[in-house]
Amino acid sequence: MEQLVRFDPGLIFWTWTTFFIVLAILAWKAWRPMIRALEKREARIHNALEAADKARQESEELTAKVQEDIRQSRQEAQQILANARSAAEKVRIDLEDAAKNKADELITKAHEQIDAEREQALREIRATVVDLSLSLAGKVLERNVTTEDNKKLVEESLRRIGKA
Amino acid sequence: MAAEEHGENIGTIILHHVSNSETLVPLHLFGLDISITKHVIMLWLAGALVTTGFLLGTRRYRKEEQPIPSGFANFLEFVVDFIHNQIVVPNVGRRYALFWSPLILAFFTLILTANFLGLIPFFDLIPGGGTATSNINVTGSLAFVTFMAVIVAGSLAHGVIGHWRNMAPKGVPWPVLFILVPIELLGMVVRPFALTMRLAANMTAGHIAMLAILAPIFLMANAWVGIGSVALNVGINFLEIIVALVQAYVFTLLSSVFIGAAIHVEH
Repeated sequence: MEQLVRFDPGLIFWTWTTFFIVLAILAWKAWRPMIRALEKREARIHNALEAADKARQESEELTAKVQEDIRQSRQEAQQILANARSAAEKVRIDLEDAAKNKADELITKAHEQIDAEREQALREIRATVVDLSLSLAGKVLERNVTTEDNKKLVEESLRRIGKA
Repeated sequence: MAAEEHGENIGTIILHHVSNSETLVPLHLFGLDISITKHVIMLWLAGALVTTGFLLGTRRYRKEEQPIPSGFANFLEFVVDFIHNQIVVPNVGRRYALFWSPLILAFFTLILTANFLGLIPFFDLIPGGGTATSNINVTGSLAFVTFMAVIVAGSLAHGVIGHWRNMAPKGVPWPVLFILVPIELLGMVVRPFALTMRLAANMTAGHIAMLAILAPIFLMANAWVGIGSVALNVGINFLEIIVALVQAYVFTLLSSVFIGAAIHVEH
């Protein structure tokens, strides 16, 4: 049994020699370069993912901005359209009003003219009727009815007729 | 009587199979007996396999700025990545990881290779045990490296005096230190001792079990017994593969935990 736990300085020497030679060669030639490469790759992947994330975020922001712009433009266009519509309506109403006013004015003027002309005609008719009446009465009475009094009398009676 | 004699023989054979061989090539250096034995050869073989494997597999890492692994390099990268990112970085911390990862990797690859070499029956053609890591001189030497690494790690992180002062945590009433400091000093020695015994005992036990299970074939001189023995041994061999992996992992993990504990003093 004692051979299982026998102290063996030679083996200890060789263990250390072998261990440290392997450690020195591989740490220098294999493990450090590998770990560095692994860490570099990790950093690169990390950076790439971050960049992709950033790009995605930026594009999302850009999309949102573009959409906002479109929304605003649409709103503006609608506003412009509404403004134009109301302006056109106003112009239409104005024009209509102006035309109506003009027509009313014309009608009023025509009425006034007609009234004036009718008055004139009535006046002329009245004068003619007075003259005719007087000449007729003169002929009937065989005497000249030229006195101012008579003329006034007839005009008054005619005015009464006109009023009635 | 014959069976008893036979049994003694079996015991000797088993012991012979799990312990180091006698001197194969006598060698001396400054009065120190550094003769080549079977465990030395198995150790060299493990070292040579690990070194050539990694040197051949990582040529691209020495040539290219951003190497893309393929084939065998993928496997090596998996091992290095596992040790570095799953064992060293969580325990030792990112700051000292690059410094300590090679040591931990050397532990893992050498112990694992030596463990697996011991499982290959081919090496039983040379007399003596095939598993270098079943020898406490080998595991003890490796554990001593951990022991020294803990001191170096603590000294690098806290200064030489600072490392030893960490044995006496701040804010503890001074009478308690009379108990605490001896416990800490004891722990310093017990940890590598536990590493030594755990690895050596685990690597020896499986071989003893397998040989003991095969023994009835010869004890009873009956080939039919072999059916049961061999079937059982196949199972144990699979178990041994797991044990070889687990023990390499445990030695590696505990080493980095001890080194990490010296850097990140918790109390």
